Amino acid sequence: MEQELINLQTQAREQLATVENVSQLEDFRIEFLGRKGQCSTIMKGLGKVPKEDKPRLGQMANSVKKEIEALYDEKRQFLFSSAAGSSSQDDAIDLTLPGRKPETGKLHPVTQIMNEVCSIFESLGFSVAEGPDVEHDHYNFEALNIPAHHPARDMHDTFYISDSILLRTHTSPMQARIMETRQPPLRVIAPGKVYRCDSDITHTPMFHQVEGFLVDRDVSFADLKGVLTVFTRKMFDKELDLRFRPSFFPFTEPSAEVDIACVICEGKGCRVCKHTGWLEILGSGMIDPEVFKKVGYNPEVYSGFAFGLGIERIAMLKYGIDDIRLYYENDLRFLSQF
Amino acid sequence: MKFTINWLKEYVDTGDLSPESLAEHLTMLGLEVDSVTPVFPELAKLKTAKVLSVESHPNADKLHLCEVAVGKETFTIVCGAPNVRKDLITAIAPVGTVMPDGTKIKASKVRGVKSFGMLCSERELGLSDSHTGIMELPAETEHGQPLLKALEIDDLLVEVDLTPNRPDCASVIGIAREVAGITRNPLTLPVESATFEHSGRDFSVDIEDSEVCPRYAARLIRNIKIEQSPWWIRKKLLSIGMRPINNVVDITNLVMMEFGQPLHAFDYDKIAGNQIIVRHPKNNETTFTTLDGEERTIEPDMLMICDAEKPIAVAGVMGGSNSEVKDNTTNILLESACFGAISVRRTARRLKLPSEASYRFERGVDPGGCVTAMERAVSLLCKVAGGEAMEGGIDLYQGVRPLNSQKLRISRTSALLGMKLDYDKITDVLQSIGIRCKSKDDDTIWVNPPTFRIDIEREADLVEEVARLIGYDNIPTSLPTVSLSYPEQDPNRTLRKQTSNLLVDIGFSEAINYSFVAEKHMSMMALDKNDHRRNYVVLLNPLSEEQSVMRTMLLPGLLENLKRNINYQKYAVKLFEIGKVFTPQGENEQPIEKERLTCILSGRRAGEASSLYNSDNAVDIFDAKGVSELLLETLRLYGCGTDDAITFRIPEVNEIENFSDPAQCLILDSDKGILGQLGRLTPEVAKQFGIKQDIFFIDLDFELLCNLNATAKNFQQLPVFPAVNRDIALLVPTSVKAGDMLDTIRTSKEKFIEHCEVFDIYQGKPLDDGMKSVAVSVTYRSPTKTLTEKNVNKSHTKIINTLTSKFNGSLREG
Repeated sequence: MEQELINLQTQAREQLATVENVSQLEDFRIEFLGRKGQCSTIMKGLGKVPKEDKPRLGQMANSVKKEIEALYDEKRQFLFSSAAGSSSQDDAIDLTLPGRKPETGKLHPVTQIMNEVCSIFESLGFSVAEGPDVEHDHYNFEALNIPAHHPARDMHDTFYISDSILLRTHTSPMQARIMETRQPPLRVIAPGKVYRCDSDITHTPMFHQVEGFLVDRDVSFADLKGVLTVFTRKMFDKELDLRFRPSFFPFTEPSAEVDIACVICEGKGCRVCKHTGWLEILGSGMIDPEVFKKVGYNPEVYSGFAFGLGIERIAMLKYGIDDIRLYYENDLRFLSQF
Repeated sequence: MKFTINWLKEYVDTGDLSPESLAEHLTMLGLEVDSVTPVFPELAKLKTAKVLSVESHPNADKLHLCEVAVGKETFTIVCGAPNVRKDLITAIAPVGTVMPDGTKIKASKVRGVKSFGMLCSERELGLSDSHTGIMELPAETEHGQPLLKALEIDDLLVEVDLTPNRPDCASVIGIAREVAGITRNPLTLPVESATFEHSGRDFSVDIEDSEVCPRYAARLIRNIKIEQSPWWIRKKLLSIGMRPINNVVDITNLVMMEFGQPLHAFDYDKIAGNQIIVRHPKNNETTFTTLDGEERTIEPDMLMICDAEKPIAVAGVMGGSNSEVKDNTTNILLESACFGAISVRRTARRLKLPSEASYRFERGVDPGGCVTAMERAVSLLCKVAGGEAMEGGIDLYQGVRPLNSQKLRISRTSALLGMKLDYDKITDVLQSIGIRCKSKDDDTIWVNPPTFRIDIEREADLVEEVARLIGYDNIPTSLPTVSLSYPEQDPNRTLRKQTSNLLVDIGFSEAINYSFVAEKHMSMMALDKNDHRRNYVVLLNPLSEEQSVMRTMLLPGLLENLKRNINYQKYAVKLFEIGKVFTPQGENEQPIEKERLTCILSGRRAGEASSLYNSDNAVDIFDAKGVSELLLETLRLYGCGTDDAITFRIPEVNEIENFSDPAQCLILDSDKGILGQLGRLTPEVAKQFGIKQDIFFIDLDFELLCNLNATAKNFQQLPVFPAVNRDIALLVPTSVKAGDMLDTIRTSKEKFIEHCEVFDIYQGKPLDDGMKSVAVSVTYRSPTKTLTEKNVNKSHTKIINTLTSKFNGSLREG
């Protein structure tokens, strides 16, 4: 038995020395270390040795097996580590070939930005409401304190369907629609398509806006500044300079335009920001008491702010798109970039 | 609104504010400065020059050879102007100058003599229409200096984008008032206030509708000499881009720019009966020729200025050619009036005639300022145009506004702005722009805005004034305190997101097309004449034929997109759009808006993926079907068991769309009606869109999709015992549908059938014509035991028998 073990050890050593490749190594493993291999056979033979020799021979058998295993591992490691440098290099898998990549599409950049805008406000507890694209003159204008023949209608080149039906020129009608049916406190955003009869490099007759408003007791202009600052910082992922500038909308008073430091030139002045260093990104203001009165809210009790922003414009600034017409051509070379 | 810095400085000291910081201040006051640019940038390179000598050109009779001095340099210049003479100071465009008309001055030979620059006429410089000779500058003008400096027009032009609520700032003085508020320097006005005696001696004025004409003032000035305005007037107008006409017209324009009050001068001798009547047109008065020479159609509700016989001006919009001031005019009637904003706006709109005057009237002109501006113009007409103002005049002021007094609460202002304000702070800023304040009680201020601030009507307007004057940047930033509530999710929106994301994940890109389309799309889609989708919502004022009706389907837009992509060599296209279609209701009713989901698939199935691993096979109908199945499975409307909301079926003949290949089209049925269709577009329709490759579409009613009941997720025990698979290859007539075979297996009464699927279809040799082999794999499993051969064989044999007898088939050998 003892001799058998010594022979096994020598035999294994000699045979392993002749192993040159992985398949020979596998043959070796099966012959010596496999379930029916030599080590196994000897181990089984231990059952038949005299009782007094058992501990010694058992120990010896174990150490022989361990050594063969160790030798095997060593050889295995050697073979694998040298594989790259060996003559079998030519057969190796060419990993410079491209991966088998599943084909996916892209969401339209407008949808991507829209989702981003909505999710920021949803995280702030705003709910999302959508309204009709084809609106009553009443909701688009009258309810927002823009009576017929108000010069502010000049800012809205309107597509008409009939005398009183039109394509909404902004998403603000949702302010009136929602306030009419619900009571404060309200925190709502209204995304959607809007239409103006205007078409050139910087205007398309259809574009997307998100309207938002918050109405409660004791809402202040400082709150408006706070919420829109949070939004802008999140939207543009950095501590951009931001300014609130007086402006005019018939349905807010005071009204403010929000500018961010030009993301293209970082405020130094360039063509995009018309050398002002600032980019207008949204309009806002405290909801005008007239608007509240029209929906039956008491302006002495409630106050609130509203804002609206153009999605295409944000996408242009964020992605550096310089021709707005690209949005609606649905050219895959364009869509696949975002 | 345009003005120049130097012009502004005539009324207010801007202190140490640079033009840039002045612009910044104005912007932050709500007067957004669009640009600050040098006046006449195209004249920046021109210099003054002195003619040293003039000789005749050796080769041309009408040309002269001049030596000119430009500072220390002298140049030889060929000049054809008749007025060129020794010692004349004129303007030179040196070599390299780009003239206002775009021509570049080069050193070139003129009839064999080299000329180094050009001596310029006023017309060539865009300064006047005078082209009788080169410009003549005063003899004492130093030569070699920039022309702009010599003309005192080295100034900066500021362009302000006015909001509609600030008509008072449509004037240089209006801007100056705001600047005075910034610098706290006093205003210097050319005329502070004015009055004149009432006199009906020379003419009369009647207002038939004082509602739309709250004030009408007029004076007569005799013995005017019409000529070119002096340079100081012309340069102001030129520098803000207004074309000088003659001294009278220029003065009315100048004063309008100063005070914001539009003025009009009539030729007094052309006013019949020396009568001015402000009235609407009479029935026979249907056309009127404005002073631009255009004959315009006038309507009964427009407001006209008329003499005893006829209209002579469109009130607040434009004068008439029949009373226009011409070169031979000697007596003028000067009008300074206030017309109703809405009336002027409607008229200007309908006549498509926006003018500087209508711009101001439709935003609101302060009736209180009519006479002040008029007196400024009268004094200039006398001084500059040699006029003689007749004693007195007429001022009908029926629309006197009550004193505008407002209460402003300190507490309300503080609460709305979110900052603590007190009486001193509020009154300080309001008074800086001339709004008078007086304390009423601890919390209330009596406020009197000046008459020109017609925008201040309510407390809210005053709060805005306070906010703007304090500076928005000085208002703190806070976050509102609100009670917690859960923002309800719109289920359609959630489903739209889920659907879009899934489609994107499997290779579709999202398209967004215009909601308005060309009417011809419906014919291109081969829709029947009475198809409901030919009933559109029509735009009254479309931008073009291509965008004239609201869409009733999404497919045409996507086909246009496909065409575009093919044009740019993107042949493999998978696009989807989720968007609204519109169905008209009554005349003044909103149309029904319904969302649809439409997908198109065309070209290579693997898209842009590498040919190394993928075949170049094009998509087919089963791609469209598979996408639909996957989508509906994900939404748990299909493939989730027996209570699926959706089934696919082959359409009846009358259900097949005209644009759909009848052999390749499926209907998606739901328990709430037809969800939509999928199919192959007919080559004829594809051709209408200029597309030659195969196109497959899926078109679903998205609203219905949102309303279907999804199968609840319900856990099933995992099988413990192994499954047994058995295959059957059956020869059946080609008319047999594989789906029917599977249904037969599924609905058979045999126990243990877990699943069955088709894994091969074969048609052709060596099979007989009209026959095909359908290979089906059936999986058997028992939830309670390991199935034996015996268990399975029994069921399997029965199934084979059922199939062969039902479908007239036989088991295929081998």
